[in-house]
Amino acid sequence: MPKPSFQTVRTAQFLTLIVPGLLLFTVGLILPMFLGLYYSFTSWDGYTKDFPFIGFDNFVRIVQDPHTLDAWGFTIEFTLWNTIIQNVLALFFAVILDTGLKAKTFYRTVLFLPCLVAPIVAGFVWQHMYIDVLPGFGSLLGTKINFGLFGKADTVLGGLLIVNNWQFIGYWMLIYLAALQSIPAELYESAVVDGAGSWVQFVKITLPMLAPAFTICIVGITAGSLRVYDLLVSATGGGPGRASTSIIFHIYNTALNAQQYGYGSALSVSLIVVLLIIALVQLGYLKKKEIQL
Amino acid sequence: MNRFQPNKKRRQLSHLVRRAFLQLFMLVVSAAFLLPLYTVINFSLKTKKELYLDNPLALPHAWFFDNYSSALDRLHVGTTFLNTFLYTSVSVFFLALISGAAAWAIARNRGRFFRFTYVYFLLGILIPFQALFLPIYIVGNALHLTNTFYGIILMYVATGLSFSIFLMTGFMTQVPVELEEAAQIDGCSIYRTYFSIVLPLLKPAMATLVILQAFAIWNDYLLASLFVSSSSLKTLNVLFQQLFSTTSSNYSTAMAGVMISVVPISILFLSLQKYFIKGLSAGAVKG
Amino acid sequence: MKITRIAGAALAVAMLFNGLGAWAQTVRILDGQSTTDAGIEKIIDAAVAAKYPGIKLDWEIVGWGTELNAKVQQYVQSGLPDIIVGKGQDLATYSSKKLLSPITGKPYLNNVLPDAVKSATFDGKTYGVEYNALYQGVYYNKKIFKDNGIAVPKTQAELAAVIKKLNSLGITPFATHFLDTWSIGNITMQFAINDIFNKDPSWAEKFRAGKISYATSPEAKAIYSYNKLIYDNTWKDETFSLAQTQADARLVQGKAAMKVSGSWSIQNFLDVDPSFDFGVFPFPNQAGNAKLIFEPNITFMKSATTKYSDAVDKVFDAITSNKEAAKAIYDLTTSYTNPSQKDIDALAAKGQLVDANSGNLQLVWGGFQDENAKDIAAWLQGSETLDQALKAADSRRGVSKP
Repeated sequence: MPKPSFQTVRTAQFLTLIVPGLLLFTVGLILPMFLGLYYSFTSWDGYTKDFPFIGFDNFVRIVQDPHTLDAWGFTIEFTLWNTIIQNVLALFFAVILDTGLKAKTFYRTVLFLPCLVAPIVAGFVWQHMYIDVLPGFGSLLGTKINFGLFGKADTVLGGLLIVNNWQFIGYWMLIYLAALQSIPAELYESAVVDGAGSWVQFVKITLPMLAPAFTICIVGITAGSLRVYDLLVSATGGGPGRASTSIIFHIYNTALNAQQYGYGSALSVSLIVVLLIIALVQLGYLKKKEIQL
Repeated sequence: MNRFQPNKKRRQLSHLVRRAFLQLFMLVVSAAFLLPLYTVINFSLKTKKELYLDNPLALPHAWFFDNYSSALDRLHVGTTFLNTFLYTSVSVFFLALISGAAAWAIARNRGRFFRFTYVYFLLGILIPFQALFLPIYIVGNALHLTNTFYGIILMYVATGLSFSIFLMTGFMTQVPVELEEAAQIDGCSIYRTYFSIVLPLLKPAMATLVILQAFAIWNDYLLASLFVSSSSLKTLNVLFQQLFSTTSSNYSTAMAGVMISVVPISILFLSLQKYFIKGLSAGAVKG
Repeated sequence: MKITRIAGAALAVAMLFNGLGAWAQTVRILDGQSTTDAGIEKIIDAAVAAKYPGIKLDWEIVGWGTELNAKVQQYVQSGLPDIIVGKGQDLATYSSKKLLSPITGKPYLNNVLPDAVKSATFDGKTYGVEYNALYQGVYYNKKIFKDNGIAVPKTQAELAAVIKKLNSLGITPFATHFLDTWSIGNITMQFAINDIFNKDPSWAEKFRAGKISYATSPEAKAIYSYNKLIYDNTWKDETFSLAQTQADARLVQGKAAMKVSGSWSIQNFLDVDPSFDFGVFPFPNQAGNAKLIFEPNITFMKSATTKYSDAVDKVFDAITSNKEAAKAIYDLTTSYTNPSQKDIDALAAKGQLVDANSGNLQLVWGGFQDENAKDIAAWLQGSETLDQALKAADSRRGVSKP
């Protein structure tokens, strides 16, 4: 047998570098994905050893179950608002910090610090902010505003948006800041020479150059918001009632508390499908925009 | 010349006013952002009675460090801290090792299989593990990986691979192929090339990876709550959530525990700030 | 000599066996704790170490309400712990799923009150050691009642009068913390015990068989409506963002007069003011004959698959025979010497106590009671109608069996 070519040996060796990762990834993520698909066609309760096959019943139930639809509604609302608010504010603060303000590093650190805290801790701290601290602050100022945002179904989303934005504005701001600082100054200078005001400069020069940063931030914020769970566990427990139950919270509740692993798996499958669709749509749209700009 | 002076002065003045306004604005914003931190520190130093009865903004009468000693011995924050540190550092180590090697192999091979593998790994970014937590938990349970220290580490590595490989592949362009080729001509094996030539050049990339993954794992709750819930193995976040729910009357001790966990991670970040920002900006600029 | 040699060898072997027995055995224990029991691990470790130094307990502590069930499920797949600690109602659930090993007739059961042994016995087999009991009812600020000449109400009409008087005095009648949905579930079950299960112990079976439904049952409507009665007479704007400790503190401070709760609040009361004078009475039912509810609380169960059956028995023996441990746990969990004890003793003397299991063994907590509580919360907040909430309970018929 002829000796394997140098190229083949090399390729084989490269393969060995990939194998550990491939193995772990497959067992840790891909295998569960297919198992989840299998369980979603059963009515398994997580306790017993039998897996009664029920076909598409779980999926039909998803569409009919008001709690599932509510959970999706909350999650999507949370995501949409987050994406808008976090992006706008992150860019806003990045622009301010980019103007050569004194103590810029201090502000940057302060705004960034909250993202170091685990969301589960942030939820608990803010629960007390709303219950204790802000009312205490309000009474000092003499106002009667009701700060208990987590206490009403209509305001709980707002309350959670505040916490989430407090946590992550600083993070995305850093990305925008870096992008802003990479815009060559000559572009602005020639614009000034052409007589363009600062607003026109912003729209015609800054925004287009920020396109890649936009993509990263929008995709990142969307992905993170769709997965919200830790925050809800400690902040509101999904309440009041079910007003702040996200889709992952709903899956956890259904499967582990109410012992319906089959239905829970079906919910997981539907979540994955939606995530894939959103991700592909977003990437396609944003990449196109990037190229255009 | 004189005609333009007043305009210039006016512009300078309005410029100053604008800057002063911006500073003031940012100061107020900073105060608002720091209020929760102040709350945690404040509460961690108060006695239970002060917590319930005093104004929440008021400073404690005396600094009640008992909460901290209580957190350390009664709540075993020390052991839990070490657990979290162990899982994080070991997971990050293996992530760096495995993803670096895999990313390099992918970057240096144009073959169809390698291309396919890259996309295969990217699936994990589109499908985050949180969406799969239920089947992952079921698999982990069936394989007896729950409540073992290696189980949670395996899970963290498995779920972190996609992003890590994606990140590292992006950074591979910083490693000049010529150096590798030179090494190969000199007779170095692939492994030798990787460890002695490629790896040292990847330091900034590795730093970014380490920081990002360390954060994600340190702050994780979902996976930890499912896989390591026994007293001897649990992580800080699992402990905190138990404190928040089962001893909700004792949250001054919980706050002390929170401080104990937040301080080291902040120090880590502040000292590695440079690499972190560089890593973020590399992503932002390149796209 | 040969005999001494053999004796020597026998002695050596005996010592070896003894030594082997003395090697530490690690017994896994899963403990679903509530706010009151945090810290019993240390007391129990001490009790076991005092009597059986060779046994070590490996504790896993989880929140009872949200996690115990999930953990037991998990371990059914991968290996149950040797001891499970839950509430009295868990005993029924787990024994019916064949997860527990009976401990009928074990000598240490003589240390436990006969009533407690009885309530832990199903089909003639005893499945657990019930360590203490919680009392559930309306805790009230004695000073407010005394200063204003208010008597403990026994009927709904009397209760309405008390509420009216308190409102006119500017005192909030009820302290609540509906942020904790479990509190809604708990008080609803308290109502059910005195308005449904005392009259008809098989109500739940009839419900599951489809003969009764929440939507058409006047009793079900009544107990849901008590929630509204309380909601209308509490701090409406705040209750959904108020935590338990704040609510308890306000009762102590005199901002509210009554709280439908359980012994778990006592620790909070005494933390705020160790000299707080309070009592407890059963929430009046439609018939005017409500009884105070006692709930077997910390319950130790032996799993069916344990390999250390003897060690588990030893642990149970250690904890039931150690008087100091018992007192320490009482002090920690129920604050045994507390002002409400007077009321409890008075009610006990008149036979006015009822076992919470009469209700909890009929309708399971996880997936039924807690989900119903969410619907009640939604109704109180106005996002659902009472009818929708009742119908939602009916829709969960299939999963209501413990």
